[in-house]
Amino acid sequence: MVTIDDLSLKDMTLDSLPRLKRLRSLHFATRPDICVELPRNITHYMKHLDNPADSPELRAGKLYKYVMENKRAVIADENLLAGTTTARTIGVVLYPDFMALSIWPELETVSRRKKNPFGITRREIKELNFDIFPYWLDRTIQEVARKDNGNPLCQRIMERIVFYIATKVYCISHTVPNYAMVVERGLLDIIREARERELSLGSSKEDRAKKDFYQAVQLSLNGIISYAANLSREAERLAAKEVDTKRRQELLEMARVCQKVPAERPRTLREALNAIWICKVALHQENANVALSLGRLDQVLYPFYAEDIKRGMTLAEAVELVGCLWLKIADHVPLSPETGEELFGGSGSNQAVTLGGVDMQGEDAVNDLTYVMLKATELLRLRDPNVNARYCPGVSKKEYLDRLCAVNINTGATPCFHNDVSAVEALTGQGVSLAHARDYSSVGCVEPSSGGRTYGHTGCILMNLTSALEMVLWGGKHRLTEDEQIGPKTKPAVAMTSFAEFKEALETQLGWMIDQVVTLNNNLGRAHQKIHPTPILSALMEGCMEKGKDVIYGGAAYNSSGAAMIGLADVVDSVTAIQEFVFDKKKFTMAEMISAINADWSGPYKKLQAMVKASPEKFGTDSEMARANADWLIGFLHDIFQSKENYRGGKYTVGYWTMTNHAGFGALTGALPNGRMKSEPFASGITPVSGSAPVLTSCLNFVARLDHTRIADGHALNLKYTPSTTTLPRFANTIEAFFKMGGLQVQFNIIGRKTLEDARRHPEKYPDLFVRVSGYTAYFKDLNPHMQQEIITRAEYDLVTGTEI
Amino acid sequence: MFDIERFISGLSVDKALDRLGERFLKSLEDETAETFLEALLAFMKIKFMFDPAYRKNIEGFRGRYQFRSRDGGVAVLVKFEDGDMKIREKTSDDVNVTVSFKDGRALMNFLLSANRDILRGLLNNEVVVAGNLNYMYKFGFMANHLQLELTGNLP
Repeated sequence: MVTIDDLSLKDMTLDSLPRLKRLRSLHFATRPDICVELPRNITHYMKHLDNPADSPELRAGKLYKYVMENKRAVIADENLLAGTTTARTIGVVLYPDFMALSIWPELETVSRRKKNPFGITRREIKELNFDIFPYWLDRTIQEVARKDNGNPLCQRIMERIVFYIATKVYCISHTVPNYAMVVERGLLDIIREARERELSLGSSKEDRAKKDFYQAVQLSLNGIISYAANLSREAERLAAKEVDTKRRQELLEMARVCQKVPAERPRTLREALNAIWICKVALHQENANVALSLGRLDQVLYPFYAEDIKRGMTLAEAVELVGCLWLKIADHVPLSPETGEELFGGSGSNQAVTLGGVDMQGEDAVNDLTYVMLKATELLRLRDPNVNARYCPGVSKKEYLDRLCAVNINTGATPCFHNDVSAVEALTGQGVSLAHARDYSSVGCVEPSSGGRTYGHTGCILMNLTSALEMVLWGGKHRLTEDEQIGPKTKPAVAMTSFAEFKEALETQLGWMIDQVVTLNNNLGRAHQKIHPTPILSALMEGCMEKGKDVIYGGAAYNSSGAAMIGLADVVDSVTAIQEFVFDKKKFTMAEMISAINADWSGPYKKLQAMVKASPEKFGTDSEMARANADWLIGFLHDIFQSKENYRGGKYTVGYWTMTNHAGFGALTGALPNGRMKSEPFASGITPVSGSAPVLTSCLNFVARLDHTRIADGHALNLKYTPSTTTLPRFANTIEAFFKMGGLQVQFNIIGRKTLEDARRHPEKYPDLFVRVSGYTAYFKDLNPHMQQEIITRAEYDLVTGTEI
Repeated sequence: MFDIERFISGLSVDKALDRLGERFLKSLEDETAETFLEALLAFMKIKFMFDPAYRKNIEGFRGRYQFRSRDGGVAVLVKFEDGDMKIREKTSDDVNVTVSFKDGRALMNFLLSANRDILRGLLNNEVVVAGNLNYMYKFGFMANHLQLELTGNLP
C-alpha cells in the first residue's frame, strides 16, 4: 500500500542522513582486503575435526556449525546492523574448495597489481601458502570432478577458455533463499521442525539419509544462532566501554536485537533487517559470494515497516535502516585473480534485490517500502545490491514507473526494469505455478526465478556462441586451438552450397558444445553433492524440509539450471551476412569471407567489410532476414538445452545476459563475418551490435518480439540514452512501449560518452561512477579496458530524434 | 640438460645461490628466454637444498610436473617428494599436471606475475595446461617467489 505523498522523498539527502554519508565515504575509501578467516576455519575443521565416515550432508552440517561458532564477531563501524561477511571492513572471501587456490601464484603481488588490488599481510600469505592451500590441492570441486570423471574432454575444453565456462567450479550460489521464512518464523522454529521430522523417521536407508539432512539443518542453524549470540556479547562489551551516550544506546540495542534474532521471529524493521543480514552472512560462509540474491525485500519486510510506522518510526529512520543493509551487502567482494581481472574483471558479487511488481494474486504490490528502498538506492549509488524493478503494464501505476525512471536518471545506471507479464509467461512455460511465477524475483543479474522455492543455478553455464560459428567455418577446428579437432568434423564451409547446409553445420557444432557443457555441469554438480552440500541454503528453501533433501540433491520445490549465451547479436549478424552476401546475393564466396576474417578485414577486404557493415540486415532492425535467423537460433538453443536433464532432475533454461564476458570472450576471438574485427568486444546480452541498430523503435521492436518463453533464464537489453535528451516522460514512454510489445527486460546507462571518456582518462575523479554492464552494475574505474571501451562505444540513443548518435 | 652439480662445483653455498640466481635473472632478460625453464628449475633446486625457509614449500608435498615444448625439444619431468626436488629429461603420463609451451618466453609470461601476459598466451595458444590446475598454482607461487626475492620485491 502506498501512503507516501512525495514518492521521491526529495527532502532526504545524504546530508540529512549523516550516518549513511559517513558509512558511504568509508566504503569508497576502503581497499578490499583478503580475509583468511573462512578458509582458516574450514581447513582447521577438515584437517582435525571432520569425520569422513559421516554422510556428506552431516559433514557439511557439522562443518558450518563450527564455522559459524568460530566466526569472529566484528563491530567496527557505526552501521546499525550487526554482522560482517568477513573480519575486514571490505573483505575478499576465499572459498578453499572452490577457486581460492587460483590466487596462489599471485599472493605476493596481489596487493600491488594495477587493477583492483587486494590487501594481504605477510603473515596471511604464509598461512595460506603453508597451512591452508596445500590441504586443498586434490580437494577442490574442479579437481574432484576431474578425478571422478577421468579428466574428461568437456573439462579440458573449458580450460581452453574460449568455448564455455561452467561456473560450478566456483559456486552454486545463483539463487534466492527464502528470507520470508526467517522473518516469519525465526530459526528456532525451523530447527524445531527439522527435529520433529527427524524423530518421525524410521531406520530405512532412505530415512537415514533424511535424518542426516535434518540433523545438518539443526547443526548449521544452531551455528548461526551462536554467531548472533557472539555479536550480542560483542555489542555489550563495546557498549560498556563507550563514552558517547547515543552510541552506547545503539550498541545496547544492537546487543538486544542479536540476542533475539534470527533465533526468534522479529517484531521490528530493525530486527527483521538484522535477522536477514545475519542469515545472509551465514549463507555466504557456505556459498560463494556470487549472485546469491535477496529477493523481494520490499514485500518480505513491509509488515515490519508498516508496524514500525504505526509505532512512530519516521521515513528518514526507515531509509537509514535500509541504507545500513545496502552498505552491509557491499561489505565483501569476490576473489578475482589477475587473468580474471583482465578478461572478466570489475564485477561485484551481484546480489540482486527485487522491488515492486504484482503479488501472487496479480494485484499491484508496490508499497511505501518500495519507495524507501528506491530512495536508499538513489542516495547511496552502490554497485551491490543490484536493484531490479518489476513493472506490470496495466497494473503498476504510472507514478511508480516515473519514480523508477527518475532514480535511473539520477544514479545513471540503476534500477533495471523487468516486465511482469513476460517474465510470468516465461516462468509458467517452465512449469512454475501462476502464483509462484508472479512471486518471481531476479537472481544475480537479470534472471527471473520464483524466489525462495527455486534452485536454478541461473548462471551455471556461460557459453560463447561465436566459438560454434568458428568451428563451422573451420570444420570443427577453432583458430585459437589451431590444428586440434575440437568439435565434430562438419563439411568444409568452402564446399557448402546452400545456406541450409551452413545452418545444419552450425546446429551440429552448437549441439556438440551443449552436450559438452551440460556433461561438465552435471559432473560438477555431482562433485558438489559429494563434498559440498548446503544445509543452510536448504533450510531456507521451500521444498527441502518436505523432501528431507539438500538443494544440491534436488530438494527445492523447483529445480533447473540456467545457461547464459554470449555473442547472440554477433552470431545472428554473422549468419545473416553469410546468408545475404555468400548465398543469396553471391557478392563474394565463402572462401573470400574466410580469407577476409583471417586477414582481420584488412587490406583488400576493407571494401567487403564496409559492404557487410552497411547492410541493413541486422539484429535490432526491421530486417526480416535477421529476425528469422534470431528466431531460429534462439529456438534451437532453447530446444536443445530443454532436452537435457540436470543432475537434480531439472531442465536447462537459456538466457542472454553476459556480465563482462562479452568483452572477455571478445578479446579472445578473431574477426567475424559480421564485420567485427579481432578482439573487439561482442555485443552485450541481447543487445544489437553497436552501430547496427540506428533506430530505437526498431531496436525495441526487434527484441520485444523475440519469444521470451524461450528465454526463461532472462535477458539483458543494454541501452544508453543521451542524458540531455532523457526527460522523464520520454524515458518512461520507451519502457512502457517496449513492455507493451512484450519486451522482457531492459536496462539503461544515462551517462554521456564524454563523461565516460573522461572517467577512463581520470579514474581518480570518478571513484563512484557506476554503470550498467550486462545485468549488474559496476564501478567504471574497476572495469578492464575492453569493458570500458565497450561501455563507451555502446550504442547511444538520442530520445528526441529516436536515433543512435 | 644443464648440469647443476658441475656449475656449482667448488663454490660455497652462498656463491652457488648467487650464481644460479644471476643465471635465472639473466634468462628473464633474454629475448627468447630460451633457457628460462632450465634456469628456473636449477635455481629452484638449489634453493630447496640450501634455504630451509624456501624448502618448507615442499615439505610433505608430493607433486609430479611435466614440462614440454611444443616442438618436442624440451621434455622435463619435475618430481617433488619428501622435501626433495628431482629434475629428469623424460616424458611421463603419471603426472599431476602437464604444461605444453611454445617457447621459453611464453612459459615465462605464463608463470611469473611481473612478466605476466596470460591473455596473450591464451590468444596465441602459446601455453596449454592439462591436469590438476592447483598444482600449477602452487608451482606458480614458488617460481614467483624466487623472482620477487631476487629483485628485492617481496612484500
